[in-house]
Amino acid sequence: MRPVLELQALSKRFPPNIVALEEAHLTVFPGEVHCLLGANGAGKSTFLKLCAGAMMPSGGDIRVEGRAVTFRSPSDAARAGISMIYQELDLVPQMTVAENLFLGHPPRRFGILDKAARRRRALAALARVGATFSPDVMVGSLSVAGQQLTAIARSLTREAKVIIMDEPSAALNETELKSIFRVIRELTSQGVAIVYVSHRLGELREIGNRVTVLRAGRTIETFDVAGTPDSVLVDAILGDKRALVERHERPALSADVVLEVDRLTGADGLDIRGFDLRRGEIAGLTGLNGAGRTSFLKALFGALPHQAQMRLKGQDYAPRSPTDAIRAGFGLVPENRKTEGLMLDAAIYKNATLPAMQGDFWTRHAKRRSDAVAVLRQLSTKYGHPDQKVIQLSGGNQQKVVLSKWLIKGSEILLLDEPSRGLDIGAKADLYQLVDGLSRKGASVIVASSEFEEIYAACDRIWVFHEGRNIACYNPADTDQDTILKCQILGERPND
Amino acid sequence: MTDQTRPSAARRLIDLCIEYNFIVIFLVVVIIATLLSPNFLTSGNISNLFQQAAVTGVVAVGMTFVILTGNIDLSVGSVCALCGMVVAVLLVGGWPIWAAILATIAIGAACGAVMGAITALAQVPSFIVTLAGLVSFRGVTYLLTDGVPVSGLPASFAAISATQIPLFPGFSLSSMAVIFLLLCVLAGGLLRLTVVGETIYATGGNPEAARLSGLSTRAVLILVFAMSGVMSALAGILLTSRLRIGQPTAAQGLELDAIAAVVLGGTSLFGGRGGILGTFFAVMLLQVLRNIFNLLGLGSFYQMTVTGLIIVAAILLNRFIDLRRGRG
Repeated sequence: MRPVLELQALSKRFPPNIVALEEAHLTVFPGEVHCLLGANGAGKSTFLKLCAGAMMPSGGDIRVEGRAVTFRSPSDAARAGISMIYQELDLVPQMTVAENLFLGHPPRRFGILDKAARRRRALAALARVGATFSPDVMVGSLSVAGQQLTAIARSLTREAKVIIMDEPSAALNETELKSIFRVIRELTSQGVAIVYVSHRLGELREIGNRVTVLRAGRTIETFDVAGTPDSVLVDAILGDKRALVERHERPALSADVVLEVDRLTGADGLDIRGFDLRRGEIAGLTGLNGAGRTSFLKALFGALPHQAQMRLKGQDYAPRSPTDAIRAGFGLVPENRKTEGLMLDAAIYKNATLPAMQGDFWTRHAKRRSDAVAVLRQLSTKYGHPDQKVIQLSGGNQQKVVLSKWLIKGSEILLLDEPSRGLDIGAKADLYQLVDGLSRKGASVIVASSEFEEIYAACDRIWVFHEGRNIACYNPADTDQDTILKCQILGERPND
Repeated sequence: MTDQTRPSAARRLIDLCIEYNFIVIFLVVVIIATLLSPNFLTSGNISNLFQQAAVTGVVAVGMTFVILTGNIDLSVGSVCALCGMVVAVLLVGGWPIWAAILATIAIGAACGAVMGAITALAQVPSFIVTLAGLVSFRGVTYLLTDGVPVSGLPASFAAISATQIPLFPGFSLSSMAVIFLLLCVLAGGLLRLTVVGETIYATGGNPEAARLSGLSTRAVLILVFAMSGVMSALAGILLTSRLRIGQPTAAQGLELDAIAAVVLGGTSLFGGRGGILGTFFAVMLLQVLRNIFNLLGLGSFYQMTVTGLIIVAAILLNRFIDLRRGRG
């Protein structure tokens, strides 16, 4: 049989020196469900964007039914029969299902919108995906599953030969997922190919025919799903020649419990039980994307609505706003320093002293400048002048400014969400050395990161998060990396 | 590094001119006006300029606070008229002047605070909330006296706006203009020297970063709208004092003049950047333009057309400067 979609030696570089995809291959046959697996940062998203025409590759070939093609835009890809269904569905909620199905390519007669034809063809497309709702309802009024069906039906109105689904299960419950699977089987029996991206091995077993594993921007191997045990897949995802991580020398874990969370629940299934943080501890949170690490940190910081039963140094702790949390001694270095952490257009010292000045009347610029300079020097931050705009600093130095906000404020519990994102290797090492130093002076730190090696090297304990729950807690000093990584991928403690 | 942080004197002068381009533009317009008319640079005319700019200027100061947080207040004209009427009604009702003024300011603050609270707590865009305020407060203004102007105000009330205060020999300003200048200084000081002022900038510059730094961004929104209400009330009091009657149709379209001045003065509509200095010069610039046209005997149709063009030109200039600096 001739493959419907072939990707050969695809690469994508972001100048000057980031390589998102090195050498990726994928061959998809008509009528198959081809799964794509890979750890965080393996290059899945980049790979999908190249397939869907949302990005242009730096090298390599894309062939559709044997013909070499170049996608300059998503509509090029759609015309060639490649359709992408994003996790954040790109539908217009204020428009009807029928209008959404033909967005950008409405049926016309004599140049005028042919509503009758649109409705007729919408009904046909909805019937093919087994949808029971009318084409006249607003997309916004549908459930997530209904919206997903609408997105699939839209691919059909474009005569898609390959439908790429990016983690469709993330927002669906069990029954909804079953109905999506039914639709997928129906479509594949008609010869449509599905590229299915998920990190849940269980789903793969239920729906997939073949699976391709990506790691560090390369295609590792393609397996038949049946007859390949989980352990082989996990090894392919993780790779066997991992860099040996050298753990930092750390003092023994204190018995002094600072923060004790009996239970904390929130939106999207966040449900954390029995979490605790010791004085001077560096606790790591690890897990796949969407495991609830950021939500947990933001809830602790009072920045996200939640219900919780927790104690801070023995006292009940119920932050209703970041202001409450900061007063209780918390400090958050948010995931995205540019949109959440800094006022890029404002002076360095103003950013650094923003939390500390609250409650004062006069701005006292001179004192704030000297406070900022003292702490920034402690963090060996490189900058020209404290009045310089923070946007002019490098990523690592910007992150130090965010950190300095809480050091100047005197926060005792630091919540670091992806603190090393966008930093080069030197800056990362520098950052973790600082965190180590702070913890030795009595600060308690929670670090959430998708860079497992960092967490493994720096933390006293590692909590594994999976779909909103904390499923395990390991001491990296006596646990090897594989055990924790497997736990993270499988969503359960590996039985060994 | 030192090259970047310590640029040459000439480079710094150019940077200052770009940063404060509204002052440069203002000076250019003043020079043109002086060349066009020998009557322009006389103490009487300058005093007039300030007197005429005062009402719009006071409202524009309040508007600057609101726009710095990335919001807008369309209700200022109506609140100004409402407060102008309220103070007149109270005075005619026999209230002492100080009590009438305080009560009016409190009403202005309340009008603003309510709109600010709806914006901040219910997270409704301020454009809509204050548009509703524009209509409703004007309605209340008419309801107060069934649309009839209120006259018969005490003569001492007129003195609030009309007293001539000699600043230096041969030059005096009306008390109204002096109040405008004082409010500019106070507002500028509040923005630059107090934590509240910096919180306003931070809320406009990056609301999420401000919230995650423990700033009470909601309280700040309510505060800036309340301050805009207070400024509108003061403008209404000055207007009624100058006209010597409470006029329910007064101050129509004042919100547009105020917004134009704030934006012309370099304050970003997205919040976080700008200040009172720019607003002050922009208010004066618009007034000088009006003055030139009057001195040249050109009608208000020309004034409106050219004023609009100048606003567009100034905004494009600022946009261009932003793009050159890579803030685009």
